[in-house]
Amino acid sequence: MTTRARPRRGDPALGTIAVVALGLYVLFILVPVIMSAWKSLTDENPLLAQSRFVGIANYTEMTHDSALAASLTFTLILAAAVTLVANAAGIGFATLLNKTSLSFRVMRTVAFLPQVLSGVIVAFVWRYLLAQDGILNHVLLSLGIIGQPVTWLGTPHLAMFSVGLVAAWVLTGFTTVVHLAALQSIPVELYQAAMVDGAGRWKRFRHITFPMLAPGTTISVTISLITMLKLYDIIAVLTSGGPADSTQSTALYIIQLAFTDDRYGYASAVAMLLLVVSAGIALTVTSLLRRREVEL
Amino acid sequence: MRHTRLTAACIAAGLALLTGCSAASTGGSAAAGGTTLTYLTFETPSLTASFWDTSIANGEKKVPGLTIKKIVAPSTDRDAYAKQLQASGQFPDLLQSITPSTFATAGLLKPYDQNWVNANFMLPMGNAYKGKVYIPPTNSQIIPMVFYNKKMFAKAGITAVPKTWADFMAVNAKLKAAGMTPIELGGGDPFAASMPLVGILSADVLGKDPNWLQERYAGKVHFTDANVEAAVAKYRTMVKNGDFEDGALGVKYADSITNFTSGKTAMYMMGSWFLGSVPKANADDFGSFMTPTDDGSLVVPFAVGGSMAISAKTADPAKATAFAEAWSLDPANYKTLIEGDGAFPMLKGKTLADYNVNVTQVFKDSYSYVTDQNTKVSAFGWATNDDSMPSGLNDAFYAASQALFTSDDVNGQMAKLDAAWDAATK
Repeated sequence: MTTRARPRRGDPALGTIAVVALGLYVLFILVPVIMSAWKSLTDENPLLAQSRFVGIANYTEMTHDSALAASLTFTLILAAAVTLVANAAGIGFATLLNKTSLSFRVMRTVAFLPQVLSGVIVAFVWRYLLAQDGILNHVLLSLGIIGQPVTWLGTPHLAMFSVGLVAAWVLTGFTTVVHLAALQSIPVELYQAAMVDGAGRWKRFRHITFPMLAPGTTISVTISLITMLKLYDIIAVLTSGGPADSTQSTALYIIQLAFTDDRYGYASAVAMLLLVVSAGIALTVTSLLRRREVEL
Repeated sequence: MRHTRLTAACIAAGLALLTGCSAASTGGSAAAGGTTLTYLTFETPSLTASFWDTSIANGEKKVPGLTIKKIVAPSTDRDAYAKQLQASGQFPDLLQSITPSTFATAGLLKPYDQNWVNANFMLPMGNAYKGKVYIPPTNSQIIPMVFYNKKMFAKAGITAVPKTWADFMAVNAKLKAAGMTPIELGGGDPFAASMPLVGILSADVLGKDPNWLQERYAGKVHFTDANVEAAVAKYRTMVKNGDFEDGALGVKYADSITNFTSGKTAMYMMGSWFLGSVPKANADDFGSFMTPTDDGSLVVPFAVGGSMAISAKTADPAKATAFAEAWSLDPANYKTLIEGDGAFPMLKGKTLADYNVNVTQVFKDSYSYVTDQNTKVSAFGWATNDDSMPSGLNDAFYAASQALFTSDDVNGQMAKLDAAWDAATK
């Protein structure tokens, strides 16, 4: 039997790794965020060499920007709904797939596939499925569930629903794997003791599985929320933010402001707002879920 | 504790990805003995990679010592990609078919020699911006034309194409009575959704006041003016009458072409580039006319496009200009643009026969609107000259077009356009 050597304090290799990681973090994350914060105080136009310092004018403008309000509302509702659905589905799938046989291991891989695929590819496939003469309408028509093709992507409310459906489908792969990992860390003895006490399947889930999933749920919910708050690729391919801007997420709006409207400064201000909103939501949710973990 | 750190790290990484921009600097280079210039192109089913490679190779042969490095825009939105390249310090030396006004105002483009333009093109000032030509006016489009299926018209008992708006509505009624969907609309793609409105506004508003867009810049007219709202209300009437299919906003542009050419719908309001998609096998089944006006007067919504713009900061302006001029006069390039992209050639003193092209009768008939003397106005939202709309307005216009498919609030949508215009030009 061998024992793994514990890293020594002051190990130069560890120090090097830390410096490289910190350097990359500063270079590719911290510096761009600071640059963006600075640009948000200017009227920078990507086509012009010069820009002016405008103070908080961009932030003031946001207060009466109806397009921003609409995109932010859509983004927040989408994030909440998709996070809820994807995590509920993830817990369900994880519970079903929590077996050790080969077929279940294969199914686990299949369940994770949506997360592995590029959002652009996923959206292209779904756009084909949800088209007016797409497979979904064909199936529903042949089953007699609908009388005429449904315009999944062409009606504002249905387009919002469709975006949420696709995003939830993608995210469910991730939430399934996270919850599956959490499930597998639950000691078998707890279930055995509960069974000796006469607890049925539902009681075992309610009193053992669900509470013990809490750490996984914290990670899964938080990452799901952040992913949805910055969602761009799926919407860009699926609906391009339409029809009539009904599915325009804040991330899409930022890109439009910067590269269509030539308003880099204002786009940066909106990006900073999204950063703050996302940070606020993520920290609040994490804090609440962590408190729940402690209580459990 | 461990998973708390993991969560914190994941949150930090996720949040930080929300923002950030950086700049770099590249572009063309002029080394001793040779020059390499970058050239922004775009690909479509007809303007393939092979077309660009061949046309570039032909152009290079005419400019000794020049090497062109092709850059392909990730979508057909060249303007957006050119802006991204500019923002990252990689503005190309040559840029194919961009909107010159967007970049010329920022001093990023070099104008062509007016004498060369005057000597070679039918409408030398067709796409001029503030008196200067930034892209050679090599070709033009009519946006939109109303294409129609002759067999479906005959089946519905329609013997002549409509000239007045009342005739147009009567044609739609006859088609519906015969169980046909009158007009195809690829409303799933915003630009395609706007085509009926482009046609109606060009005919009704610009047809009566060709300077309307200039007057809008000056603040003398507005989208909420009665004449504009009356024109837009025509589109609402068409929607409510069922002249388009119910699910039109779910139909992608590519599918709308297939729907029309396969006979699912009787008419299609689209830019003349659709002529490149008319099936050769039954091309004679298709015809075209202009969006009808109230009094039957003919108004042609016209946009002069062009080849490439030259960066004002190019490392070798002489070679860049020589390449651009050679490319713009190469008949081989025109052949592809005409046959595949439905472009109407604008080289001075030439006829279609000079390009050795094989085009359909509907193309020839449509081209006659370009060569004939008639009332040509800027195609609303498509002009690249002084009548081009401010940056961002096209997207707002497209969104309004989609919104008006389901909303009766014409005044509200027009007020939004006015607000967007004012914000873009303040």
